[in-house]
Amino acid sequence: MSARVAGRALVAWFAAAFGAQCLAADWEPITPEELHMTSEPAAPKVPAVYLYRQVDRDDTDGRESVYVRIKILTEEGRKYADVEIEYNKNNETIRSIQARAIKPDGSIVDFKGEIYDKTLVKGRGVRYVAKTFTIPDVQVGSILEYRYWRETDVNVIYNSNWILSADLYTKHAKFSLTPYKEFSIQWSWPYGLPTGTGNPVQKHGDIELETHDVPAFVAEDYMPPENLLKYRVEFVYQDPYNDEKDTAAYWKQFGKRRFRDINDFANSRRAMEEAVTQIVAPGDTPETKLRKIYGRVQQIRNVSFERQKTEEEEKREHLRSISDVGDVWKRGYGTGEQITWLMLALARAAGLQADPIEVATRDVYFFSKELRNGNQLNTNVVLVNLDGKDIYLDPGAAYTPFGVLPWSETAVQGLRFNKDGGEWVTTPLPSPADSRVACDGKLQLSTQGTLEGKLSITFSGLEALNLRLEERHEDAADRKLYLEQEVEALVPMGIEVHLTNTPDWDSSAPTLVAEYDLKVPGWTVGAGHRLLAPAALLGASDIHIFDHPDRLYPIYFHFPHEQDDYIKVSLPKGLSIGSLPKPESADLKVLTYERTVSSDGNELLLKRHLTVGSVIVQAKYYDQVRKFFQTVRTSDEQQIVLAPAAAAGKN
Amino acid sequence: MTLREAATLRLLCTLGAVLLAGAVQAADAPAWMHALVGVSVPPHDDKTNAIQLYSEVQLTVQPNGKIVRLERYAYLILRPDGESWGIVRQDFDDQSRITDMHAWCIPASGKDYMVKDRDAVEAALPGVENGFLMTDMRSRLIRIPETIPGSIIGYEVVQEQRPYLEDADWRLQESVPVRETHYTLQLPPGWDYKAIWINHPEIAPAASGPGRWTWVASNLPAIRIESNMPPWQGIAARMVVALIPPKGATPALLSWNDIGVWHRGLVGDRDAASAEIRQQVSSLVPAGTSNLAAMHALTAFVQKEIRYVAIELGIGGWQPHPAAETFKHRYGDCKDKATLLRAMLHEVGVSSYFVIINTVRGSVTMDTPPNLGFNHVILAIHLPPGMTAAEFKATVLHPKLGTLLFFDPTDDLTPLGGLSGGLQTNTALLVTPDGGELITLPQLAGDTSSQKRTGTLALDDKGTLSGEVREVSVGDPAALQRYSLRNVAGDADRIKPVEERVADSLTDFRILKASVVNLAAPDLPFEWHYTLEAEHYAKFAGDLMLVRPRVLGSESSGLLETREPRENPIEFAGPRLDSDSFDIALPAGYEVDELPPPVDVDIKFAAYHSSTRATGRSLHFSRTLEIKQLSVPVSKAGELKEFYRTIWDDERRTAVLRPIAH
Repeated sequence: MSARVAGRALVAWFAAAFGAQCLAADWEPITPEELHMTSEPAAPKVPAVYLYRQVDRDDTDGRESVYVRIKILTEEGRKYADVEIEYNKNNETIRSIQARAIKPDGSIVDFKGEIYDKTLVKGRGVRYVAKTFTIPDVQVGSILEYRYWRETDVNVIYNSNWILSADLYTKHAKFSLTPYKEFSIQWSWPYGLPTGTGNPVQKHGDIELETHDVPAFVAEDYMPPENLLKYRVEFVYQDPYNDEKDTAAYWKQFGKRRFRDINDFANSRRAMEEAVTQIVAPGDTPETKLRKIYGRVQQIRNVSFERQKTEEEEKREHLRSISDVGDVWKRGYGTGEQITWLMLALARAAGLQADPIEVATRDVYFFSKELRNGNQLNTNVVLVNLDGKDIYLDPGAAYTPFGVLPWSETAVQGLRFNKDGGEWVTTPLPSPADSRVACDGKLQLSTQGTLEGKLSITFSGLEALNLRLEERHEDAADRKLYLEQEVEALVPMGIEVHLTNTPDWDSSAPTLVAEYDLKVPGWTVGAGHRLLAPAALLGASDIHIFDHPDRLYPIYFHFPHEQDDYIKVSLPKGLSIGSLPKPESADLKVLTYERTVSSDGNELLLKRHLTVGSVIVQAKYYDQVRKFFQTVRTSDEQQIVLAPAAAAGKN
Repeated sequence: MTLREAATLRLLCTLGAVLLAGAVQAADAPAWMHALVGVSVPPHDDKTNAIQLYSEVQLTVQPNGKIVRLERYAYLILRPDGESWGIVRQDFDDQSRITDMHAWCIPASGKDYMVKDRDAVEAALPGVENGFLMTDMRSRLIRIPETIPGSIIGYEVVQEQRPYLEDADWRLQESVPVRETHYTLQLPPGWDYKAIWINHPEIAPAASGPGRWTWVASNLPAIRIESNMPPWQGIAARMVVALIPPKGATPALLSWNDIGVWHRGLVGDRDAASAEIRQQVSSLVPAGTSNLAAMHALTAFVQKEIRYVAIELGIGGWQPHPAAETFKHRYGDCKDKATLLRAMLHEVGVSSYFVIINTVRGSVTMDTPPNLGFNHVILAIHLPPGMTAAEFKATVLHPKLGTLLFFDPTDDLTPLGGLSGGLQTNTALLVTPDGGELITLPQLAGDTSSQKRTGTLALDDKGTLSGEVREVSVGDPAALQRYSLRNVAGDADRIKPVEERVADSLTDFRILKASVVNLAAPDLPFEWHYTLEAEHYAKFAGDLMLVRPRVLGSESSGLLETREPRENPIEFAGPRLDSDSFDIALPAGYEVDELPPPVDVDIKFAAYHSSTRATGRSLHFSRTLEIKQLSVPVSKAGELKEFYRTIWDDERRTAVLRPIAH
């Protein structure tokens, strides 16, 4: 794990003092179309639209001018007359706020009301505040306008971006950036640009973009990270120590530097060799050695996964700074990143071929080499080759079993460092079977229709890891409740469930087993003289997945996984099986489902298998995915018909 | 996450980081905290995350009338979840300054920690959501280190009290057990007090010096937070102390009448109409307009044209802006809107009265002693001569004032004549020219807040169900649906509420066509009309076809399916009368074999009736659910749970069709 200083994101320099400025005297002209519009055909029935937005940022003197024009289309849209501009009072100033409302009849009301200063957070040298005001006399059909300057008064330049996808539909927007000339800057638009929008252009040293008709951003379930999906242009100032313009050259230089840094940190050869002798036996196979080292390294106190502490608590612990892996071993603690590099050093000391890799996690952004931003490689793993087989390891990610990576580190690009810089690798994506929820039940049906008995659930791989991470700071009572709620989420309503065992919460074992007493009142429902029961007991969590027929964005499952149910139900005396639903299955390759109900004497066997085999499914396949889950729900609802013994066989 | 949420999150992260960065010192906790080490604690279960070991409030009135409140609290942390007790938050504004704030931790082992006043962080809620633009109310926060199981944490706050609120309260209970709590009142000569007990038997004070009284309570149980429970003020033990200044000073608020007089004084002549208001009234109400039409026009104007914006600085939390100002700006908060409407109604000869209320029913009851536990202002409109209560639903007959019609100018989704569920049977302060009195707002009939769903559907021999559904909502269900559609960003999202509701009942469906009726006309029923198709609706068992007659909608609830027995009464949002009626044409070649039995349950506070009939070649399902009583005592929780289970069973019942014998 890496917590490398975010300092790479900032480039500091001493700049000239800012000059005063003022806003242009005139507002942009309002067209008759803007004045008379009552709706936007491309965004029907929305409360308001941005008629025009303009952001001009000048990094040479730390100024940014913002201009906003909003058309109010419904009564609800009048809320956009309430404006709050947040800023950091320690290094920013908001100046020259001007606002006005243009009524539908064209009359203009300049804002002359009070602008309030609201303290949002203040203390310990931090002061976040907001300028707040409301534009009066706003009606449906009004146009609101406001503009202001944001000035940054410290000697820092920041990477910035233009977010084109806003909370409202944007008819027209212009953006410009005057970059600071002393550092090279690059820009990219990772999700593309709205239809009809040209690429950003450079004019007289400025970068400019003009766009039209940008839809509002709408969140969807199971979508990739939101930041990835918004139309945006990202600006990154190059690292002053690596301003290579060519992508390959940039990463080569980056890799060489990181390789040196990592080797410096992992270079405690004698200490590591001594440590290895305490961990492995001379006759151990390479894999046994590796497993032993992994297990031992995970016993090191991992401060990255501990409860968040105050500065004073940390100070009292007297944790000394760590210079290299020798310190980590000697002192018995380290961050996740340091522990993973300790693994690297110990593996090498044991004679194994081990390489350092830094990867870009896929939980917040997706990696883009072309951005030439080394900060994207935000965590570290070790690659060990055993008899030609690559094994990726991240013991610094607490509770992670041997050979498993946390989901955000799977199927991502990383740079495997060497003295020449390194080579790009892609971490493996585990198979669905590697992250499994296996439910095994043995239950008795009563004549009143209540199902009662034992249920065991085995969480494996990433499913087990996620449970342990989620509950790592909690006590036994909370963990018990958490596991019981996992079952409640699987069964529709009104169940009684009690955890009966003490699961292994604190290890990195590949599985976590939970055992329960389960009671499901009203599992069967009457249909005249018959009783009906659903073909699946544990499918409730899929009930509301993909309700909506439309989809804009790809479907994003964090990792492949599967659920296997194997439920035996003994029938009470006097009740027999009338009919059983036919077996059903569905197969989309990336999604598979099988469900059977069979009987053995007076015992029912309910089997269900659901596999999610992919991480990303493109939006164009959404209809098929939705249909798949509808099939699953329909199949789960197929009915077992039970009847008094005498009537059995007659349905 | 919206952009605003992202900004809020960023600020909260900043707040968290600043709190963690406090320069806490190693210093001994005070003796009152050390005295708590090792004390026995009240009985508790393994889910209790902390215990309040000790608390103390000292209210001191200085001879100059200035009031200072000192609070001390100490908790024993029992579970990791108890960490939240280590974030101490105290609200203040410019008239209730915090003059001192300290916190300490006595860890299970090691030296004590102390957090000083200067390590506190000041914060306000970012954003202008729901029109709440500006208030001078802020919070001061302290994070106490090592708030982990075994630690005793505590804090002390000294705060000046607002000069215009000469009462104070002592909150005895929390969501964790309370071991021991003290309240001390220190008054200068000439002052007196009146103590009022809420949700707790009176405790006699001990005189502990001249003008000094102390109350002590111990071993108070925790109040469990449950869904649909009454408001905290309605169940938690509390003592309200009204301070009585010497004669000649500002009178104390000892009665509801006193509070009414105080409020009337705050309004003063702010409810006077300006020339511009009079002109607007003239344009809305031309000469010859009936009283009824005038009332509709003026109430609709204030609901729709005056945007809700709250700017509450100092006394502005209680005192409205002048009607003329609200009219000019076209914005204001609830009391501003009520004041403006009162001025406008006055211009057409209709009198009205302020009604001060808490939107959470049960916060103030007829048994509640006088206090300022309100958060909203509406109007009671005196029905002019010639109009009768029969024309409206939300009325009461006042013995002196005649028929009063309640109207909420802020709630633009509930037109004149209606009343949202939260305000019904609620207790409020009616402010009259003579003062104030408590009144109970009416409970409207169930059919004023209902959803009526009808479906005309057909089943084919493959089990596919198709047809048309019409949903008609009035009252709160209509308001809720209109509200949910207000911020829809596009047409595709407009239909999502229907899709989600249908998905509760159908597994494989398509909405083929859908339309909304009367979205922007709150005085008319809100309607959804849609056409759907559901494949595999009927299930097959051998040669039988299994059909659930209840096609759509769920009236059951998991509210009482909890692990622990219910501890608090159940509060419904409002009265309700819902109905479903589905006609399902049978597929050719099938006839009815068996039908689900009818269900008729009436448990006084709610009733449910359903039946399935075969009529010719159709199945007909109908049912009604009525919520008749808005508050259900905890002793009836079991009955209500069974009621919901009966509905749950009924909703899953199946009709059996068999092939027609030839």
